[in-house]
Amino acid sequence: MALGAGWLAFPRVLYRSRPEPVNFSHKIHADKAGAKCEDCHSFRDDGTFAGMPAIDKCAVCHAAPMGTTAAEKNFIDDYVTPNREPQWAAYARQPENVSFSHAAHVKRAKMACETCHGNTGTSDNLRPYQIDRISGYSRDIWKTPGTPHGMKMADCVSCHRQKGLEHSCLDCHK
Amino acid sequence: MKTNRREILMFAGGSAVGVLFTPAPWRLITDTALWSENWPGIPAPARGEIRARFTNCSLCTAGCAVRARCVGDQPVQLSGVSGHPLSHGALCPFGIVGHQLPYLPARVKEGPVKEAAAAVADGIAKCGLTEYVAMLDPRPARTASWTYRRAMAALKNGRYVAPSSDTSIAVDLSKARTVLSFGVPVLDGWGTPGNVNVARAGFRLIQVEPVESRTASMADRWLRVRPGSEDALAQALAGQISHAAAADAAGLTVPEIAALAQELEQNGPVLVLGSSRLASTAGAVVARRETPAPEEWKKAAPAADLASLPDRSVRVLLIDESAPGGYLPWNAIEKKLVADNPVVVVFACSREGYARHANYVLPVGVYPEVAEDIPPAIDSVAATFRIAAPLVSAPAGMVRPEAFVAAAAGLAIGDTLRERADAIHKAGRGTLFTYADAKSQALKDVSADNFWKALNAGGCWIDEPDSKPSAARLTTVASETRPAEESELPLAVVLTHELTPGSPLLSKVYRESNLRLAPGRVALNPSCGLDEDALAVFETLLGKCRVGVTLDAAIPPGVVQVSGSPALMDLCAAGARAKVVRV
Repeated sequence: MALGAGWLAFPRVLYRSRPEPVNFSHKIHADKAGAKCEDCHSFRDDGTFAGMPAIDKCAVCHAAPMGTTAAEKNFIDDYVTPNREPQWAAYARQPENVSFSHAAHVKRAKMACETCHGNTGTSDNLRPYQIDRISGYSRDIWKTPGTPHGMKMADCVSCHRQKGLEHSCLDCHK
Repeated sequence: MKTNRREILMFAGGSAVGVLFTPAPWRLITDTALWSENWPGIPAPARGEIRARFTNCSLCTAGCAVRARCVGDQPVQLSGVSGHPLSHGALCPFGIVGHQLPYLPARVKEGPVKEAAAAVADGIAKCGLTEYVAMLDPRPARTASWTYRRAMAALKNGRYVAPSSDTSIAVDLSKARTVLSFGVPVLDGWGTPGNVNVARAGFRLIQVEPVESRTASMADRWLRVRPGSEDALAQALAGQISHAAAADAAGLTVPEIAALAQELEQNGPVLVLGSSRLASTAGAVVARRETPAPEEWKKAAPAADLASLPDRSVRVLLIDESAPGGYLPWNAIEKKLVADNPVVVVFACSREGYARHANYVLPVGVYPEVAEDIPPAIDSVAATFRIAAPLVSAPAGMVRPEAFVAAAAGLAIGDTLRERADAIHKAGRGTLFTYADAKSQALKDVSADNFWKALNAGGCWIDEPDSKPSAARLTTVASETRPAEESELPLAVVLTHELTPGSPLLSKVYRESNLRLAPGRVALNPSCGLDEDALAVFETLLGKCRVGVTLDAAIPPGVVQVSGSPALMDLCAAGARAKVVRV
């Protein structure tokens, strides 16, 4: 009974699912609009990563409905027209005491987005965001097959070690 | 089914063991740790608009230009300003983390302001005919210094005291082909870091020093001399004593001194730097015009040396320690105070300096909380005016030293920085360099209001260089060592140059890593018989205190290197000798 509770019931109690505000399809945007990751998830002029695109970036193409689906209509009515930002849940949100530089990893180290974000860029649906009720972080960031896996310091250290990079506490905990 | 106590215990025990083979307990440990990172009160980075603001670093007189990356109103990263004609985009490690200084754990945050004002007023009223009210200003030539001088002029017995520093001469490193440094940390915090780096390729550096300092290790040539023998070597090079006498005193050979003299003769112009000397063979020491000030300020009291005041004559002593500057040992100050109840008020952000001896310690804003100007650096050939514009607000209850002193003297002051800027604008000479666009323009083409705005938004006024060679000559100071001390105090003292106050983080890093000799520590040769990190008593003729011991092979036997912390500097006069005894 203890084993059953620990393996089956505990995860159901620990994690709370939250749907994303819009059922966004990376696949459609990549295939039909020819969009690349950096077109929406861009870097600012000063080199910092802008993260989730703001609604005005969506409005460039979606000022009027692009198609007749209910999801498209809802997106226009709920967010584009009132100029309201969707409250996206970021799977890869890091703790406040960590400084992660996308510029250092993408621009300098030439890492592909898929290395950390898995097949998110080619997926047709956004998976539900599972929040750990205690820590408040996403259960999974990698979107790779198998057990869901959050991101911990050990993952950063492991990758840096594999690449033979020197690292110190102050690299990330500034 | 009958349930008895044994079965309940077995069930509980089995469950406890069984649950260890599930992810639940291990997950709970991890999650609880992550949860605790977000507790209220734990510092978190600011969120908000990212923008650049500009200021000038006031941690030392280099006054390097600073670009602050701010998130909202919070500076999160400081860097240099590219293209700056004086600092050349460089910022030293202390400057890079200067925005952390307000969070110094030991910072003085409150003080008895009203009581101090009453005590000063009472002291001024009681001042006898042969007694003085003295203002000690460790960083002269600021606009605040003018206020102090005016305030002291307004008092019947006011005296403005500043460490000896002649701001009318400067060093032009670009004119020197050889720099002969007598213990000056040329490459480690002496001038403007960027300017020294730019000029470094053009001169050969010969460092004369008893210990292998950072400058010595990076110099083209390091001459290890006996402590206190620098003057003998200088006198020999100036032809005042024989090479043999200097060689005997300095521990060098006669051919070495002859070769040095020949090198200086052949590879000029030579610039000589030392704590008591500044000279050049051709144009590397230049006269520098004074930064303009309003005419009505010129009736201010002149700067006086502390030594010029009679002993036991200072009834009220005010010390502005808000800006780091030259440190006068307390024993030299203490003997100037009257014997009966002198009033000593110190404006300081920490209790490590003169605050240890004060009746009243009043808290002050620190960089980058307060607007203050920075006097020209030693290696700036032209006069400058730049303001350390605040990047963050000072906490409530901080005292503005110049306002306190002016009020005590009954002097009404306005916005003195603005008045100074207007006086500079009225003079109409020089250029304004603005940091946001890295452009220079003639001051006469800028309106007074725009000049003031530019200074507060990141700008620097640079005067036209005077470029007249200075009449500064090589002077020497005799060592005060007494032969009788040598048997009782076997170690010659070498002081490190004073440290600029740094951020709590930087202080922790350099103290724990021994990157610099931390306050309260002395360095000795490993053959001294003490252990690394041993606690010891450091003793000179002026007193003793407890220190930590660092063993360093760069320190020769018979020498003790002392950190530049006030408690230790109070014990070390020029040419001091000491002993270090295990506790």
